[in-house]
Amino acid sequence: MRGFRVAWLAATLGAGGAVACVERAMAPGSCPSFCPSGSITVVDTVLRTSITRDSAFRGYVLANQAGAMVATAAPGLDSRAILLTSTLTSPDTTTYRFLTSDSVKLTLIIIRRDTSAHNLMLKLYQLPDTIDSTTTFADVAGAFGGAPLRTVNIDALLAKPGGIDSTTGDSIATDTTTHRLILKVKFDSLQVPYVAADSGKLGFGIRVSATAPASVTFATREDPTSGGATVTWFMKVDSIKGKDTTLVRERYPGRGTRFDSYVFDPPAAPLDSTLAVGGAPSARSILHVTLPRAIRDSSQIIRGTLLLVPAVPARGASVDSFVLEAHTVLADFGAKSPLVLDATRTDTTMIRVGATDTVRIEVTNLLQFWSADTTRPAVILLRSQEEGAHPSDVRFYPSKAAAYRPSLRVTYAPRFPFGVP
Amino acid sequence: MKTRLERWKVGKAEGAVLLLCILPSFPLSAQDSQFGIRGLGTPGRFETVRARTTGGALGPFDALSPIEEASLADLPQLTATAMGGTSYRTADVAGGGGATTSFRSTRFPVMGLAGPVLGRLVLGGGFTTYLDRTWDVRIRDSMSLRGRMQPYTDELTSDGGVTDLRLAAALRVSGRFAIGAAVHVLSGSTRETATRTFDDTTYHQVRQNDDVRYDGIGVSGSALLDVLPTLRLAAFARSDNRLRARLGDVVTAQTDLPTTLGGGLRWAPSPSVRLAGTVTRRSWADAGAGAFNTVSWSAGLELGAGFAPLRVGARGGQLPFGAGTTAPTELGFAFGTGRAFSQGRALLDVGLEHLRRNGGGLSERVWTFLVGFTVRP
Repeated sequence: MRGFRVAWLAATLGAGGAVACVERAMAPGSCPSFCPSGSITVVDTVLRTSITRDSAFRGYVLANQAGAMVATAAPGLDSRAILLTSTLTSPDTTTYRFLTSDSVKLTLIIIRRDTSAHNLMLKLYQLPDTIDSTTTFADVAGAFGGAPLRTVNIDALLAKPGGIDSTTGDSIATDTTTHRLILKVKFDSLQVPYVAADSGKLGFGIRVSATAPASVTFATREDPTSGGATVTWFMKVDSIKGKDTTLVRERYPGRGTRFDSYVFDPPAAPLDSTLAVGGAPSARSILHVTLPRAIRDSSQIIRGTLLLVPAVPARGASVDSFVLEAHTVLADFGAKSPLVLDATRTDTTMIRVGATDTVRIEVTNLLQFWSADTTRPAVILLRSQEEGAHPSDVRFYPSKAAAYRPSLRVTYAPRFPFGVP
Repeated sequence: MKTRLERWKVGKAEGAVLLLCILPSFPLSAQDSQFGIRGLGTPGRFETVRARTTGGALGPFDALSPIEEASLADLPQLTATAMGGTSYRTADVAGGGGATTSFRSTRFPVMGLAGPVLGRLVLGGGFTTYLDRTWDVRIRDSMSLRGRMQPYTDELTSDGGVTDLRLAAALRVSGRFAIGAAVHVLSGSTRETATRTFDDTTYHQVRQNDDVRYDGIGVSGSALLDVLPTLRLAAFARSDNRLRARLGDVVTAQTDLPTTLGGGLRWAPSPSVRLAGTVTRRSWADAGAGAFNTVSWSAGLELGAGFAPLRVGARGGQLPFGAGTTAPTELGFAFGTGRAFSQGRALLDVGLEHLRRNGGGLSERVWTFLVGFTVRP
């Protein structure tokens, strides 16, 4: 009898438990009859006067401080890479004296090139070892005026088996991780002799040319991935031990550069009342944003777009489009405001050189950031993603230009009317 | 003493089975009738499984059903009860292309404890679902944004409801007459969310939520009169003042609640047969636009006075909220049985209820499996 009762109870409640599985059902709304009375409202508006106190500053990253250097041959822009190698001295000048060089290999890391420009040629020149950060395009124009030490056809070298030219000793390879090209150019002792007075310092200049406007970007010593160009010496050494005189060839592996940069013509135009971004030395523009309290405090911003009208077409080589970043700052110290370097707080857009279309930057992340924490300074700082690494720049109308001033287009949802049956 | 212990052993085994079966069912969430979304919610039923499986007809005469209090006076000892129900619902919207949507939900709408305290005075307390405001609506639409039509999906949800916390007293004045009264504290909250997700992810998701708290108060009174030894009359009335909705400290809405008037008749021609009928009127139209006064009726039969009675009943009436100019209607039937354990100290009631609701272009079919458990320690 007891067993029967327990079985009855278990069967009954087991059936109940089985049907009472967890489920969250959703009803398709048949509105308005069988939907809640409230609904989500979305408003889209253009805030024409919310951008104020905007200005531009230059000098954040110099050309020789950038992570890349660019050689460009395009209408309206001629840019040339320059570099100075490290010294090489004998470890023992008594018993291991350098007689002369056998050869030198210069290794260059090509970060980016225009693959649509065929017959891409690199021309390498010897520059004086006095080049530094103050060197201008005009200063080295004479050195670039002569015959190049070497000319390397990148396309032809890439087409060779293994990327090796056994005649010249040049080679090229692709780094499968970074997809960069590693180019090694060989110079013999006649092209690049070892000058003991200079302790082996070598100045190089690089120009590019192709069947179309060309631009090649090289890694510099500031590049964290590669460390930039290196030079490897193969030296003839007089090794004297007693009466035995032997001439040996010694390899002195890759040494980095002391200095690398690029020079370009025409030089960057001085700042004016426009909002400049990019170039070298790099320029940044700072814009202060005033969001209406109704939007900032009581609404949820779902999309925000910063609208900027170029005052002049973006300058530079047409192949050197660049990425413009919109950051916010940790504290508002004007030109010296520290950036919030957080990918989730950074919005970007591509600047096409020569274009005059209105530039739209999605700044939803920034607007939501300020809404979430109203103590944060509502400041947008515009800069080039690769600051100082290219001469291209863009200039936008400032807020003083009433007709073309920067504006914000904001899409937001006001507070839902909760608590109303 | 030995007999009591043996009985207790049986009770423990059965209790363990009961707990194992019921416990996994608790963390549930679902939604009730779509008719309640537009209004204050879906009104709860103040009935135990026993009353509900007679269509609600035995409600005024069932001591543990919170619909009235006077019947508490018949409670001979301390008694606790609880019930749960799982509903399968299908909804058809006119013009919806013939599509039928199915839902499942589980509720635990009644819990109570009552017992005699002083002589013929019986006190009781417990809670009942007064309004259920759990729903989840998904709407597909589009809007023009920045010169383009942007499709989106809205999801509006509410999770929670209003609970009726009752403190009741009943007194058997004489062998034929009993009275009762109760104070009702209405309290509850809902967690509400509104989400809009655009197909174009350039537009971030709109997601807002808030907690809405509700409060209100009510009083009720009832009386039972045995006109004949086999015929009992019940009359009950209840008045609830208003339901206040608050967001934080701000009152966002204040809605008048209905007055309830009802009566019932029970005829017991033999100790194992009970027939009953009940009529209830609620002035839900006080709640404002879109609400209607309701009249509901029920008739039911309970056979068997032993350990396994059989129950059957039917109910009909109106629902308080709906689209259109007339109140949606409801018609249903139910049947069930029960089983006593440990010489009547534990009662398990089960039942099945079917409801049909129609109005404003929406029709619903609901099957509800009911389980109730009563303990008399």
